[in-house]
Amino acid sequence: MTHFTEYFRPFVIPFTIGAIFLFAVIIFKYAKWFVQLEKEDKKIFWKALFSKATPKAIVTIVKESLIHISIFKTNPLLGYMHCSLAFGWFLLIVVGWADTFHLTDGESAPLFVHIFAKYYFPHPQLGVGSVFAFLMDFILLVVLSGVGLAMYKRFKSRAMGMKRATKHFWGDKFALAALWWIFPTRLIAESVTSGIYDSGSFLTNSIGLFMAKFLPLVDLQLPCWWIYSSVLAIFFIALPFSRYMHIFTEIPHILLKEYGIRPKEHISSIDNFQIQSCSRCGICIDPCQLQRDLNINDVQSVYFIRDRRHKNLTNYVMNNCLMCGRCGVACPVDIDMNTLRLNSRIDKFNSPAEHMYKFIEDFKPSLNSNKTKIGYFSGCMTMLTPAIIKSMKHIFSKSGDDYWFADENGGVCCGRPMKLSGEKDAADKMIEFNKNLFLESGITTLVTSCPICLKTFKEDYQLSHIEIIHHSQYIDRLITEGKIKIAKKDTVFTYHDPCELGRGSNIYDEPRSIINKIGKLVEPEETKNKSLCCGFSLANNHITFVQKQTIAQSASKIFDKTGAEILVTSCPLCKVAFKNNAKLLVKDISECVASQMI
Amino acid sequence: MINWNYQLLSSRHIDLNIGDFRKSIAIFSEDERLRACIGCGGCTGSCTAAAITDFNFRKLHTLIRRGDYTNVKNEIDKCMLCGKCTIICPRGINTRKVVIAIKKYFTE
Repeated sequence: MTHFTEYFRPFVIPFTIGAIFLFAVIIFKYAKWFVQLEKEDKKIFWKALFSKATPKAIVTIVKESLIHISIFKTNPLLGYMHCSLAFGWFLLIVVGWADTFHLTDGESAPLFVHIFAKYYFPHPQLGVGSVFAFLMDFILLVVLSGVGLAMYKRFKSRAMGMKRATKHFWGDKFALAALWWIFPTRLIAESVTSGIYDSGSFLTNSIGLFMAKFLPLVDLQLPCWWIYSSVLAIFFIALPFSRYMHIFTEIPHILLKEYGIRPKEHISSIDNFQIQSCSRCGICIDPCQLQRDLNINDVQSVYFIRDRRHKNLTNYVMNNCLMCGRCGVACPVDIDMNTLRLNSRIDKFNSPAEHMYKFIEDFKPSLNSNKTKIGYFSGCMTMLTPAIIKSMKHIFSKSGDDYWFADENGGVCCGRPMKLSGEKDAADKMIEFNKNLFLESGITTLVTSCPICLKTFKEDYQLSHIEIIHHSQYIDRLITEGKIKIAKKDTVFTYHDPCELGRGSNIYDEPRSIINKIGKLVEPEETKNKSLCCGFSLANNHITFVQKQTIAQSASKIFDKTGAEILVTSCPLCKVAFKNNAKLLVKDISECVASQMI
Repeated sequence: MINWNYQLLSSRHIDLNIGDFRKSIAIFSEDERLRACIGCGGCTGSCTAAAITDFNFRKLHTLIRRGDYTNVKNEIDKCMLCGKCTIICPRGINTRKVVIAIKKYFTE
């Protein structure tokens, strides 16, 4: 306490109050969210805490929270801006702490002494002290360059590789203004003190001496430190209620993510960690095709997450999304956008479904009377593209594999479209029906032509004894095993990755391997996990059919540029979308294989 | 009454005295394109639910448009929302949105 009274000056009061408030709110929030976590999640947490996941998470925290490596990948200048602010500020604190430690000869001092070190130790330093002074000036310059870039980005985001920046609400703008003023006021306060004592290094010293020529620095010193302390206090008090909450929340978010604790289909406490680690950087805006093709600028993930955090989420923002997942791939914080959107929809629109789908109890689908090991479920959408079914039948018969066509005489939907509209209970009825159908049939492999069904079967059906594969995987396997023979031609193909197959189920290689066996593959500009959505996604019920076609037409343009003859896809919905809107000939991968089988 | 020598099927009668159009108008406001329906029946022809039940979406929304709300709730619950009808529709009606609107206005 003696140190405290020795060092105390009235101007440290705003800073101290701000810092205490900030950490109190943050600790309260995290404690509340952690207590509210589900039991299983807590179990996973305690188990993983002393495992290899923790050091791995710490490395990721340094890489992402401080250095922002993934933003560097989006755009180097944008990466530098985030890195200089985050890592620079962090270094200012650490080096500043080391500097004070050196100046006080290792004696402990209150927190504010470290923050306002220049005020307490204003005299010129020699040796190690001068190195510290130089370092502090250098880091401050780096941070100031970051602030300058941030201001520049507000007015000209295109220069940083972002076509559009986020439109912020007043609370964020207020916090943003406070953040921008922290470093200039710090520079001025330190320069004034340096000017009085002819101390500091290249930056503060020269500015200080320059100001000393025409300003009464001795009188200005205290007011300058008061301003710096107050700006810090304003920022600290605004932080927990603005987007800057992400600075701290990213740390537990990365930790929980490494432990495998992720949002679920129902709203739970884990969502808080994800929602509040969104920095509203707006990197998710540019990939959004609603923005790119339809000029819809107010529904992107950044606005969805903001509205959900501030509890004013509208149906319009929640539902107007293709759920293609492109924003999730671009997100530097790796937030599960689709899961959060889905559980918001389920929370809002789910209703009891006991009375629904009584008729499916009486429905008798075709049964697996031959007890074959392979089942084929074409899916609703494939029923609209009979060419796929015909090709698959042809491939099955050529391969010699016996199969059971599960929904040849009509089937029950897989349930995903219903779930995408939020009606989980109704979807569960369908899931239960199909699940029993598959389990009773005795199949060991289930082949499906629809990536939407594939994802649902894998994630919601718990068919642990049945291998679930997409027809592209099945065909690739047949070719590798030599069960079907292909005549390779020199046709040039280009391939469209369907959202649910690529980003949704991580199947990129098998379709490409097939295409390389039947002809030549040229990749479009945006491919694999960056591939475009065809626009016909069932997840968006808000835009009109004409708007969906606009997206399809715009997406098809990148295939025209490749110079390929045939556009190959492996999703019936993408096929329908492109068939009517692309200039190229559109075929499903099974059709291409069937037509070139020997 | 004078016999004019033509007949109208009873199923085609629209009785404006009985009809309640409030919900119909609300549903129209959700997707104005619904007015462009030519009743081709593509929605019903491609329907997953219609393949296994007597669910008939063309009939259902036609009756709703006429203000006849008999049994709507039970019928609309048969829809599985798979969305094929939306892709089939030659008039570009977002039928999936219409189904959700009907569900919304006919759920107590």
